[in-house]
Amino acid sequence: MPYFKTSQEWLDLSVALLEARPSQTRVTAKYSIKPVKPRKADPSSTSADESSSPSDPKPPRGSLVLKTYDPVSGVALKYRTTKAAEVTRLMYAAMGRLGRAQAGVQDVPEETMQDADAVETPQGEQTPTQQTQQQGAAGGGGGGKKKKKGKK
Amino acid sequence: MASAHLSQDEFFDKLGHLFNHRKGSDHGAIYLTQKRLTYDPSEKSTMAKLFPDLLPNKPLPIIVRATNGKSKRDRSDKDKLSTVVEPHELEAFYVRYADVCKAGMGALKPRDKKKSKAKAKKKKATA
Repeated sequence: MPYFKTSQEWLDLSVALLEARPSQTRVTAKYSIKPVKPRKADPSSTSADESSSPSDPKPPRGSLVLKTYDPVSGVALKYRTTKAAEVTRLMYAAMGRLGRAQAGVQDVPEETMQDADAVETPQGEQTPTQQTQQQGAAGGGGGGKKKKKGKK
Repeated sequence: MASAHLSQDEFFDKLGHLFNHRKGSDHGAIYLTQKRLTYDPSEKSTMAKLFPDLLPNKPLPIIVRATNGKSKRDRSDKDKLSTVVEPHELEAFYVRYADVCKAGMGALKPRDKKKSKAKAKKKKATA
């Protein structure tokens, strides 16, 4: 099963899967540690992205794999990361979002926020619609799920 | 095997231990799973049982489980935790959950700052 490139993509499809099958679908986070195999000194190594100096023993490498799985249809959506900087966002915002979907709690819907704004805003005033939309979006983005980070 | 669900305080406490246990070693895994809790022994309606996805007219609790992934021959070492999170507790739960995970997942790569600095240094040294 392929991994998604971005966590946002993973989250979007996971939410969709949960909407389709809210009762069976489970979300798993697997945190695993593996010892790093000592690599032979090879200047033309293909994986040159990691600064590898084979002389010093590396600490074990950890990874976090998020998986949304529906046992009935067999759909599995996965995302993998090794960056500590992503943990809080994934475990709080992403897992929280999915948890709310699993609980059947309505996410603060952006449409209703906009409606509320529209009702409050008198028609005659010179309020650009764009501004109201922005306000609505900012108010509706509870849980930080809207945060997008550029990452590799 | 059939241990009762823990309270959230207990769950986080033990989850912290589970992560700490992992810190010393160079291998192993921790699994965290969340799922809608649909099991209700008092539920009589077959409709709800047959079509569980149709049911949610009210928010349901979710169950969060954690294990150290030991099974088969290491089963005696297996640690299993579970807790039930009610819909209104979700927000508070995930705040603490993320904190515990952040603290526990120490083997992940730290922010790239140091690395890029070290790289720059290296470059300078070689140049």
